[in-house]
Amino acid sequence: MNKGIARRAIAATLALGVGIVLAGCAGSAGGSGSGAVPGEDYAGPKVSITFWNGWTGGAAPVLVPKLIEKFNSEHDNIEVKNVPQEWGDIAKKMPLAVKAGKGPDVAVGHGDDIATYAAQGLLLGADDIVDALGYSADDFPEGLMEAGAYQGDQYGIPWSVTPLGLYVNNDVLRSAGIDPAVVPTDKESYMAALETLKGAGIAGEWVDGYVFTGTFEFQSLVWQFGGDLYNDDVTKSTFNSDAGVQALTHMTDLIDQGYSPPNVAQDGNIKGLLSSETAYNWNGVWQTTNESFNQIDWTVAPVPQIGTEKAVWSSSTHWMFLNNKGQNQDKTAAAATFVKWMNENSAGWAETGELPAANDVRNDPALIETYPNLKPFLDSLPYAHYETSAPGITAANALITTALNEALTGKKSPQAALDDAARQADAILEQNAAKYGD
Amino acid sequence: MTITRRRPRGVAARTAGIYAVLIFVALAIILPLVWVFITSFKTDGDVISNPYSIVPDPASTEAYSTLAGGQQPIFLWLLNSFLAASLQTVIILVTASLGAYALARLEFRGKKIVFGVIIGTLLVPPVIFLIPNYLIVQNFGWLDTIWAITIPGAAGAFGIFFLRQFFINLPLEFEEAARIDGAGDFRIFSQIILPLARPALATLAILSFLGNWNDFLWPIYVLLSPENLTLQPGLSQLQGTYSTHFSIVMAGAVIASVPVLILFAIAQKQIVESVANSGVKG
Amino acid sequence: MQPGRLTRSSSRTRQNTVTSLAPVIPTSRRSLVGTSGVRRRTGIAYLFLAPFLALFTIFVVTPAIFGLWISVTDWSPYKDEQNFVGLKNYIDLVTPGSITFSDFWQSMGATGIFTVLSVPCLLIIPMLTAILLNNNIRGGSAFRAIFFAPYVLGVAVIGVIWKYLLDTQSGMLNHILGLIGLPDNIPWTVDVPWAWVSLVLVTVWWTLGFNAVILLAGLKSINPDLYEAASLDGAGVFRKFWSVTLPGLRPVMLFVSTTTILASANMFGQSYLLTKGGPANATRTAIMYISDQGLSQDNMAPAAAMSYILFAILAIISVINFRVQREKSG
Repeated sequence: MNKGIARRAIAATLALGVGIVLAGCAGSAGGSGSGAVPGEDYAGPKVSITFWNGWTGGAAPVLVPKLIEKFNSEHDNIEVKNVPQEWGDIAKKMPLAVKAGKGPDVAVGHGDDIATYAAQGLLLGADDIVDALGYSADDFPEGLMEAGAYQGDQYGIPWSVTPLGLYVNNDVLRSAGIDPAVVPTDKESYMAALETLKGAGIAGEWVDGYVFTGTFEFQSLVWQFGGDLYNDDVTKSTFNSDAGVQALTHMTDLIDQGYSPPNVAQDGNIKGLLSSETAYNWNGVWQTTNESFNQIDWTVAPVPQIGTEKAVWSSSTHWMFLNNKGQNQDKTAAAATFVKWMNENSAGWAETGELPAANDVRNDPALIETYPNLKPFLDSLPYAHYETSAPGITAANALITTALNEALTGKKSPQAALDDAARQADAILEQNAAKYGD
Repeated sequence: MTITRRRPRGVAARTAGIYAVLIFVALAIILPLVWVFITSFKTDGDVISNPYSIVPDPASTEAYSTLAGGQQPIFLWLLNSFLAASLQTVIILVTASLGAYALARLEFRGKKIVFGVIIGTLLVPPVIFLIPNYLIVQNFGWLDTIWAITIPGAAGAFGIFFLRQFFINLPLEFEEAARIDGAGDFRIFSQIILPLARPALATLAILSFLGNWNDFLWPIYVLLSPENLTLQPGLSQLQGTYSTHFSIVMAGAVIASVPVLILFAIAQKQIVESVANSGVKG
Repeated sequence: MQPGRLTRSSSRTRQNTVTSLAPVIPTSRRSLVGTSGVRRRTGIAYLFLAPFLALFTIFVVTPAIFGLWISVTDWSPYKDEQNFVGLKNYIDLVTPGSITFSDFWQSMGATGIFTVLSVPCLLIIPMLTAILLNNNIRGGSAFRAIFFAPYVLGVAVIGVIWKYLLDTQSGMLNHILGLIGLPDNIPWTVDVPWAWVSLVLVTVWWTLGFNAVILLAGLKSINPDLYEAASLDGAGVFRKFWSVTLPGLRPVMLFVSTTTILASANMFGQSYLLTKGGPANATRTAIMYISDQGLSQDNMAPAAAMSYILFAILAIISVINFRVQREKSG
């Protein structure tokens, strides 16, 4: 053993290492546009497909495996493998996994992610399967198909919508002498209820400066005051308009006037509602399946109209077909068959605390009879606004939360906080245009 | 010790004082842990309606049975974590002890450079390694396998440094005697150095095990199938699934911590001794 | 330098760096003395080093070099080709008004604040604990186990526990403060300066035992005769601490201080989980910002440049720390 050999061995190892990484870059080029998702049912040899979703809580962990089992038993040549995990974990791992050819064949994602994924080349076009399903934009709430489209192509197939509602702790209302049957619907009645609660020593709505759910409330209010978050082609942020300032001022006023305690921590308000320390909480429809609510006497209503028009924030989920490196076309075809089948069998989906996106399924009267808690959410869908869809939009959205947090902790006035955030968001939108534009 | 021997009068008061302070600090440290343990035996309703009570009413193993019977294969994750942490620990012990022997006991060309590079990499923010290592692991075909969560992590510099520091302080006499007897380097390494270094190896073992056991972001990226997941990323899933079911989240924390606590209780005597002997004293 | 260390936040990083930097000064001196005159065995040495170096080269050196290369390109995992952009990513970071300038330096400032606040606590409290433990007391191993116990918890668990305990309205800590007549509405995780207090408090709670165990080892290695001699000279408790304990601990302190600084500078999990970087972005640390940019926002190239700026600063601080401590002991 002489030193020359050793040195060469090290050099070789180093070269190997660098080579591997470089090969990695080349390899990450992606699945070279293996085309689109076919519309007709898969009839080929037996395949096994992987399905990623973030349905880990509530009723979904029971319902989804049941549905999949049924699908698998009806299709001899397709086996669907269900992989539920946190939405946040999917967001972390899926893009790199798809580039590595290890991602799922089909997945469910949120409306604000689809454009980003499409721009990153992670998705297969789904126009054909949309045609095969016979879907058009009219079959869904307004704006929903659009949220799944990017540069004129459809990538997402709407599956569910999840609007915000007003959760009410009836015991707290009663303790303040308020009749829970009378639900505040506008600013006047809402503020009156908060005033009565304040008189009873209760801060009626705890306002927080975090995504869950302060940002959702703020966005609802922006739309209620007639504003919007971004301009139509999402090149400029508009959340610092008068409407935005009015919306944020409403929230800071709740604190300043003692209707909300200052410095609510994240999730502090839902905990406060469950422990009967506060009466109202703006939260998503997904909370209707939270078993912790069994501990209290609660109802849920549409969020009150604070501004000049009715509006409420809603998220949405969509089916996506992944453009894995070397994606097997049979698997994509099988995945399409699965998605079609799920859409035809989505009647029971409301059990999970998400509203089915398809109008005809959602408007079936049986749905409200079975799930009365969903009624206020269904009622508010006609004026729901969905998340902005544009590549890289979540980076700009994060600044809305920063502004909210700054204003609610008294660091800046609502106007100053929103202006600063808007300035930075515009720079990010510009960067996104450069990064994802052609 | 020396002081008390010289001034026996103040001994009792002084000892009492030391105990008072130590017990105070120990309580401050352990109370949150006790509270975690207690909470894991509460029911959902109890957590919500009596958030400050320190006695579960009623005491319940509901959280544990929910976890055991839930959708997530928590015991499989436990097993995966155990296998991965053990495998990585073995790899670190083998590679680091061999390398540390060279760095500590042999003179060779380029020693300073090798050494300098290893130290230098400690200052590089680890976040930079994630994507390059992902691509490397992918090219090795290791995604979604135990190799992904054991081999790259075993390449860290900690182990080799720790052992080098220990080896360098071992007395030379045994080694010289063995060399005179004609023993080769491998025999000196395996029959003299390793036995002397047993406490240090034990220390490194528990620290490596702990490091892998608690690793959480990297496994989220490289483990794709639920049946291959380890406990820490699994726990973060539980926190999402049962966000307001605090007793269940706490039960998950207890399940994740108890095995490592037991391991530490067994090994801690050796850790204290070996660090004391390891030449930290320079 | 495992990729996984990214999440382990301060203490986990320390775990891997601990004992690593100390030997540089004291032991290299010793090794020269010990082995001077011994013939070089380069071949056999590299044979012993080969398994480690193979792993180290592939999973540490290569990614580090690759990261350096990324930092001078517009690299993205989602693009087929990348362009060399020279020092643009670095220049942007030092150009006021650029898209990353204010956020990056705010996050570096947050890291600086946390490091300055936490390092003294993480040195002094474990030091005092270790001195107390060094008295020959019953139950010493039980105390050691208790002090070390939080360290076995993962950062995700730490986050969940303390988020609950530190809640403004319903947290246990504010509840207890209220019971003893103190303000019960302290925004522990919501507003500064309290958020800093919480982050330091939680970090000390979590990692105190680790430093204490090492410092205890250092104390045990001090020759008892030195205390005897000092006593004979009539030295009191403090004099002995000053003239025997501290000098005896100096090499250990060099090592503990360096690794603690590095660990604090890499803090990320605690802010991410407890304060979400808030209020606004006041507690968003450099690593938290770099991770977000590089991993979530698909801005890996600027994130790589940021990493290397942080690296350069840490290198300078480490060198200064070594120099200062070496002078003292010299």
